[in-house]
Amino acid sequence: MEVLSKKMSSDIVKEKVIRKGAEANLHYGHWFGKEVIFKCRIPKKYRIEDLDKTIRRARTLNEAKALIKVKDYGVNVPQVYEIDISSSTIIMKYINGKKLKGLLNELDDIRKHQYFETIGCFIAFLHKNGHIHGDITTSNIIITDYEEIFLIDFGLHEYSDSIEDKSVDLHLLKRVLISSHGTDWKLCFNAFLEGYQNGYLDANPDECKAIIKNISVIETRGRYIKKEERL
Amino acid sequence: MKFNKKICLGIESTAHTFGVGIVDFEGKVYSIVNDIYVPEKGGLHPVQVKEQHVNHFYEVIEKALSEANFSIRDIDLIAFSQSPGLGPVLKIGALVARMISQILKIPIVGVNHCVAHIEIGRLMCNVEDPLTLYVSGGNTIVSAFESSRYQIFGETLDLPIGNMIDSFARDAGLSHPGGPKIEKLALTSTKYLSLPYVVKGMDLSFSGLYTAAKKLIESKDFGVKYSLNDVSNSVQETCFAMLTEVTERALAHTEKTEVLLTGGVAANKRLQEMIEYISNEHNAKFAAVPLKFAGDNGAMIGWTGILRYKLEGGHEISETNIKPKERMDQITIPWRS
Repeated sequence: MEVLSKKMSSDIVKEKVIRKGAEANLHYGHWFGKEVIFKCRIPKKYRIEDLDKTIRRARTLNEAKALIKVKDYGVNVPQVYEIDISSSTIIMKYINGKKLKGLLNELDDIRKHQYFETIGCFIAFLHKNGHIHGDITTSNIIITDYEEIFLIDFGLHEYSDSIEDKSVDLHLLKRVLISSHGTDWKLCFNAFLEGYQNGYLDANPDECKAIIKNISVIETRGRYIKKEERL
Repeated sequence: MKFNKKICLGIESTAHTFGVGIVDFEGKVYSIVNDIYVPEKGGLHPVQVKEQHVNHFYEVIEKALSEANFSIRDIDLIAFSQSPGLGPVLKIGALVARMISQILKIPIVGVNHCVAHIEIGRLMCNVEDPLTLYVSGGNTIVSAFESSRYQIFGETLDLPIGNMIDSFARDAGLSHPGGPKIEKLALTSTKYLSLPYVVKGMDLSFSGLYTAAKKLIESKDFGVKYSLNDVSNSVQETCFAMLTEVTERALAHTEKTEVLLTGGVAANKRLQEMIEYISNEHNAKFAAVPLKFAGDNGAMIGWTGILRYKLEGGHEISETNIKPKERMDQITIPWRS
């Protein structure tokens, strides 16, 4: 934290914690007049220091790099302003909006369809450029007041061109939809796939089909899933 | 000794434990008796486990009844582990339960083993709606109740945690069960050797970690640069950190206010310490199920059987087929809806 605190003139102000996440604390603040989020990966005392340092350093660097790269593909992500490895902190643009998780149940079907189609399209942009988000959940999608959709939390981001990794990414979203948003999951996931296919189309339609098909193969690999119960 | 309370006899028979527990309809446990198969070498061989259970079920039931001071005629309900587990082994439990039900003309109810682990935890630890980390030789599951089911938020994609630790212990020349021995060895080491740390969302993978740990003890540096204690410590630290991370992630996602740690591996003090730490961080109540109830046992089956019976009545004999591959998120939980 030392490096950051030295720099903390009135131009860089870290204010209140707005969210305590599983691995990082999000602070609201200002950076040269801009509204920003300080994403600080806090030391986890439950794991030993060596392991903790390695994980935090790698994830901070990885996330920052990913955020900087993927915005070039037309995906809405927060702009990165500054990275501080010593305190595992990323300073990025503050996105004023709500998590999709909280909004979803209040949305009408048309909106749900619209949103998930756009999200599918974004994920396709990531995938066809070799980026895996790694943690696509409704908590990691923000909807602003102007109905812009932002993807956040690239902490588990990976580079990969393999069909398997891309399918796993989609499979994780499907799992989250089923477990947290029970009754709606089909509508949402189908809209998502529609957007995904449209987004992927120009790149490589065969690969796109293979990725979607592979989701069901992954599902059967889960423990004790019967063939006829595959979704 | 017969009194006015209704009593259930629960039979656990999914893997190495043939367990019988006697519970009344208010949740009081009268006895727990287990017969555990211990392989001379190697792991569990389903047919050998079955043989052992066939040879011992009678004395286990008799012992459970005499410890509780009941006669078999006092039993009002019989519950058995119907899923999931080793097929030949599940069959023995089902067979014994059907037999008793037919002879005594009492209702029978089949129970999902994983659900039973959570239910006995809720009963014993006085928690209402916990996020559960269920870690044993056969399962590694992060689960919470949502939309009338115990949903699975995260699970292992390959090896269950207990299986991984036991397999590693076996490769290191330790006898079954290896978990407690690895825990003891790890206590005396502070050295950490880097091992694969694989978390995908809330799912886990242990197979790479297992292979890497095995390579460490096969390497020429083993016994020179590091000892088995160091490798044990590294294995525990890595896989428990993974478990803790996904539990924390699920806790942040579900926003539950209670955390329940159960299954055989829940006995590990280091894992308890880590899960308790993150529970405190999120202001959630932490409870580790006592080993007697956290390991496989008949009382958990009995209690879960009672819960289902109170709402839905017993099963027909034709519905008591075993389901070796049933997932806990496939069945609805009427007593919590």
